[in-house]
Amino acid sequence: MLELVDLSKKFKQFYAVKNLNMFIEKGEIVGLLGPNGAGKSTAISILSSLVEPTTGDVRFKNSSIIKSPGPIRNVIGMVPQEIALYDDLTAEENLQFFGRIYRLSGVELKQKIGEVLELIGLTDRRKDVVKKFSGGMKRRLNIGVALLHNPQLIIMDEPTVGIDPQSRNYILETVKRLNREKEMTVLYTSHYMEEVEFLCDRIYIMDQGNLIASGTNEEIKRILSAEKTIEIKSDRINEVFVQLLRNDATINSVTEGEKVVTIIVPKGTKAFGTLLKYAEEAEIELNSVDVQEATLEDVFLHLTGRALRD
Amino acid sequence: MKGIFLAKIKMFMRNPWTFLIMIVMSVGFALILGGSGNFTTISVPLYATDESVRESMVGEMLDESDAYSFKWLSEEEMMGQISSGKAEVGVELQENDFNVIVGVSSQNTKMVQQTIKEAYTKKAQYSQIFTEADATTSSEKEQVQDELEAALDEPVFGIQSNNFRGSNAVIIDNTFHTLFGFTLFFVIYTIAYNVFYILTEKKDGIWDRVILSPVRKWEMYTANFVYTFITGYLQVAIVFLVFRYWIGVDFQGRFIESLLVIIPYVFAIVALSILITGLVKTVQQFNAVIPIVAVSMAMIGGAYWPIEIVQSQFMLFLSKIVPITYGMEVLNGVAVYGYPVEDLLFPISILLLMGVMMTGVGIHLMEKRHV
Repeated sequence: MLELVDLSKKFKQFYAVKNLNMFIEKGEIVGLLGPNGAGKSTAISILSSLVEPTTGDVRFKNSSIIKSPGPIRNVIGMVPQEIALYDDLTAEENLQFFGRIYRLSGVELKQKIGEVLELIGLTDRRKDVVKKFSGGMKRRLNIGVALLHNPQLIIMDEPTVGIDPQSRNYILETVKRLNREKEMTVLYTSHYMEEVEFLCDRIYIMDQGNLIASGTNEEIKRILSAEKTIEIKSDRINEVFVQLLRNDATINSVTEGEKVVTIIVPKGTKAFGTLLKYAEEAEIELNSVDVQEATLEDVFLHLTGRALRD
Repeated sequence: MKGIFLAKIKMFMRNPWTFLIMIVMSVGFALILGGSGNFTTISVPLYATDESVRESMVGEMLDESDAYSFKWLSEEEMMGQISSGKAEVGVELQENDFNVIVGVSSQNTKMVQQTIKEAYTKKAQYSQIFTEADATTSSEKEQVQDELEAALDEPVFGIQSNNFRGSNAVIIDNTFHTLFGFTLFFVIYTIAYNVFYILTEKKDGIWDRVILSPVRKWEMYTANFVYTFITGYLQVAIVFLVFRYWIGVDFQGRFIESLLVIIPYVFAIVALSILITGLVKTVQQFNAVIPIVAVSMAMIGGAYWPIEIVQSQFMLFLSKIVPITYGMEVLNGVAVYGYPVEDLLFPISILLLMGVMMTGVGIHLMEKRHV
């Protein structure tokens, strides 16, 4: 359906996106994962025809959208990271405005507004001005606006930023429903691993403008199939302990958190005795040592040496 | 385009405060600072030696005077006001004569004297006419007076009067100057803060959504341009209407012309706001730049003080590149100098040219910027 070929975007001397290759098939939910500044928003601005790439091409149904953006604009619904709504208008008036710009009118517009309000759970608040809405309600309406014209492909740029867990769950369930019931293709960008793991059939991971991994959930986790993650918890983790871990050649990665240190070691490594020895040397008491299955977070850590939300 | 326009109107109706505040500011400043012009009359105390003078034609004429507010007082009260400095001048009226008592000698002394003299002259004229008409009783006098006034309403010969002045003569009318100056100044804010919404809409991603829709960009710009122009023009029209019908400034009979010649100025200010929106990068920058531009333009362009009193050649040169100079020129031309609109085509053309150029460059800059 949509293909990005060797796509690059350069701002002055800085590459926001570098040689990006990816594809989206009809009916898929594809995740674009990466920390802030990874180049996700630039990539989706290019593939939705809002920004021209420096080099490369975006092909929609085998035609370049760089030369002719019309076909893709007709079928996409865009949910920007910002709340792209008029604060002084009600939910219904916002939907009327965005419906009208898609040439909807009369009964058709009214019916569509009703459907969308029902889907995003704001029917009861249709007459309220947006500035009185909670963050979660604004996010839901932000999504609703993009659904008015029945898009085939919906592009969501971090649609759950800054909202409460209930609203987040509601949005994730809504995205699932749109994909399942209306067969909408979804491109979902986020820096929340758990959202992408929950929603997406396939995932692309970006960092500093580069694509660093891609595949299904399982395929990506298999990158760490030869390794295991160990989480060590203590109330008094100190620098000596962390340094001992870092100096150990059998440990591939060490990440320090608050009262927790996460290490990645090759499978088969007998680390327990070593950890106890280091704890004794650093004069700390360990609360727990958990061996975990690899997560996408671990994969990102492994590939970049940084946590995803750094 | 209609959808965008309707949404803007709805938002305006829901939040008209900036617009209303700017109207109040325009009217308030023009009233306060222009108040020393035609809006107030000078109070002059009067004392009549004979009560019949007050009932006579002289008394009636003085009571109806527009130029001065004559107050009937006792002799002591009048003298008290003059000696305490509350009144510059007072008048003692007798049956066929008058005395002007001067406290502070000023231009008003002669003007008051002139007004009183006119009243006595008219009284003498009527008295002579009554004698010639052999009218002795009061009913006969009234009949003659009615006939005379009826005849004067339909004169045999019409008289047209005209003032003459040199081509370089300057008229500075404080009432019009403050009214026009502050109206043109405050409308800049209303227009600029409406255009500024383009910047916030772009920042919030609303424009991205519209770009992806079947609506064309020219429709978006046109809807914003038309809406901003209408709100700006509406503000000017409301301020002028307030002064015309509430305060009583008659625009020298050129009210409609004044409303027409201001159109190119509003157009140029919308264009200037688009240019500034294209030049700045953030909302904060816009908020900082607009007051600087508006105030400096008002100072340079003669909205705060008449451009005619400026001597510096450099300032006069700068005034040629700000729209407010030409806005003041066309309004003064129509309402103060009484020029026909054809004589104002030069400043009107410059405003239109400025408008076209600044719109073009402004939109180009906005489009060039990465969204």
